[in-house]
Amino acid sequence: MHSQAMFFRARAAAQVGNKGLQKALEKAKPLFVGKRAKGIAGLADDGLDFTELRAACTAIRRRVVDDLDVWLEIFEERARAGGAEVLWARDGDEICRQVIDIAQRHGVSKVVKSKSMLSEEAGLNEALSAAGIQPVETDLGEYIVQLAGEAPSHIIAPAIHKTLGEVEALFAEHHGRPGQARTAADIPLLAAEARAVLRQHFLSAEMGISGANFLIAESGSAALVTNEGNGRMVTTLPKVHVVITGIEKIVPTLENFATLMRLLPRSATGQSISNYVSLLTGTRGADETEGPEKTVFILVDNGRAALAGSDFADMLRCIRCGACMNHCPVYFSLGGHAYGWVYPGPMGSVLTPLYTGIENALDLPHASTGCNQCGSVCPVNIPLPALMHRLREIQHERALRPWRERFALRAWGWLAARPGLYRLLTRLTARYLCWLADDSGRIRVLGLAPGWTDERDLPAPLGKTFHELYAARKRA
Amino acid sequence: MRLALYVTCLVDLMRPSIGFASLRLLENLGCEVVVPPGQTCCGQPAWSAGNRDLAGDLARQAIAGLESYDYVVIPSGSCADHIRNAYPQLLTADPAWAARAQAVAGRTYELSSFLNEVLKPESLPGEFSGSVTYHDSCKGLRGLGIKQQPRALLARVRGLSLAEMKDCEECCGFGGAFAVRFGDISTAIVDRKCESIAAVGADAVVGGDLGCLLNIEGRLRRRGDLRTQVLHLAEVLAGPEPR
Repeated sequence: MHSQAMFFRARAAAQVGNKGLQKALEKAKPLFVGKRAKGIAGLADDGLDFTELRAACTAIRRRVVDDLDVWLEIFEERARAGGAEVLWARDGDEICRQVIDIAQRHGVSKVVKSKSMLSEEAGLNEALSAAGIQPVETDLGEYIVQLAGEAPSHIIAPAIHKTLGEVEALFAEHHGRPGQARTAADIPLLAAEARAVLRQHFLSAEMGISGANFLIAESGSAALVTNEGNGRMVTTLPKVHVVITGIEKIVPTLENFATLMRLLPRSATGQSISNYVSLLTGTRGADETEGPEKTVFILVDNGRAALAGSDFADMLRCIRCGACMNHCPVYFSLGGHAYGWVYPGPMGSVLTPLYTGIENALDLPHASTGCNQCGSVCPVNIPLPALMHRLREIQHERALRPWRERFALRAWGWLAARPGLYRLLTRLTARYLCWLADDSGRIRVLGLAPGWTDERDLPAPLGKTFHELYAARKRA
Repeated sequence: MRLALYVTCLVDLMRPSIGFASLRLLENLGCEVVVPPGQTCCGQPAWSAGNRDLAGDLARQAIAGLESYDYVVIPSGSCADHIRNAYPQLLTADPAWAARAQAVAGRTYELSSFLNEVLKPESLPGEFSGSVTYHDSCKGLRGLGIKQQPRALLARVRGLSLAEMKDCEECCGFGGAFAVRFGDISTAIVDRKCESIAAVGADAVVGGDLGCLLNIEGRLRRRGDLRTQVLHLAEVLAGPEPR
């Protein structure tokens, strides 16, 4: 997927003013936040403690990230022993080439897909279409955004930005039927309509492509955590199954996987467990009647290996639950598309610069109030604000910020290091701000910071600084 | 007990009354309060902008001015968080300053936590007739664990009743440079805060950080709410200035 992250500011401005989007987000936010809170509180019913569990999950993921190469070799060996083929892809282009090659070798004309963010990183759907292979997204949300010709705006709720009316219009257009007035009570009907369409695709596709929530090293399996059941059909009905996943998704043991599953669904949707949890190991055995005849794992780097051992290694622990964006005030003011690449919200503000180039996403690490609502809910303790902060430092070190900003900061810093001069200038500033205010003590227009006063007043100071008044008091 | 009051650059410039309220309150409770001369800014804006060198220089300047006191008290969770949590890591590789940064960090308190954890006053001078709702500032809440401290203090102010707003722990959208750099996003966020404030209908919204308060008050007024007072915790606890 081609990154648009350099246009964040303009895209954000458009989304802030998008009423339909704002309505959709307003509805979704309390659901996400409330369900997670309930899910985490529910741990106590099972005699579990969030802090302990979080530390355990963090340790499991850290152990993998610390020795990623070793775990990958173990996984590769076990997966091959189970009958799967294991390929390695350096980047998105290589993913596309490998998938198209597999499809062509097996005479595939249609591919059904279950959610894979890696396939978004690679822009796989476009590549498949260009090669004459039809990709069909089967996750309901992803199906909706595919019909709309859009990208997902959330990693676990791809169509969260769509309203009911927009979905109805898309279905009417693409399913060839007249449009109807719909209410929330009709949502099951729309889901059933999509199911009927998708069922035909499941039965006719020759290849299924899925991601994996985890790769289990000890068994060579892919673990899939879903709620709709489409993932099971994608991975078992077609004769070829391709798993595309990042190299960091490894978990050493099934026991470790079980521990992570205590927090993954709870952090994502508040569920104690998702509707479906699949462990997919190898191909259909000689005495078995289900499963693919061929399974291929494509293990993708696309920037990940470079993070191991770097200042950003913590980010590799991510288990893609989406809690960071679900608790982000910036995400819920914009939705996901403003971020311009595959991953939105705080995780995107870290990953997009790292995977697509720091100089190509200069605004993202700054698009944070530093509130740390993300870090405080992350099930694997990723210090997201600290990672954004480190990216800001790198921008500064490489002089990537606009010259006016750098100049202003330097001038302010020079002044702040000279208290006498600083006092003089703050006294003048206090007077100036006081002079700018109207009768009610409010500044309506501040030329120095229009970003503040476009839509807010600035409560004005009374004309004298604290230190000035304090000195006068001391003298008296 | 000799303590340094660090008034913060924002209070110095934008609302000195918060500094004087803090001073009055602490003196009233029996502390010997000094406002160390030479204080400018703790350097958090430089740190947030990614300028480690400048942030380090300003940290050294602040440490030198603050290290001779028993305690450093700050009417801001954000600046206190910076001194407590960022200074030690900022200067960790500087052998001459690492220990000094640690020492000052350990003696630095946000105002409400100092009152609650160190001073433990029997009574407070402030009075307020009406209801207030408390906005939890992010750095204080998630950086320093300030949650019950201001509420415990407010509960003891004569005439005051506390009404919790929905999502009181949610960010107000200030975020320092963020509010200017992304004014439109910041406004969208503070709008949600204003709606929560309107819904609870308190006479005043109270907080511990002037940055958040300027943001909230600025947006409330622009939306046409001229009634809800926006006050710093120190102003409520200290009571009115004697004439």
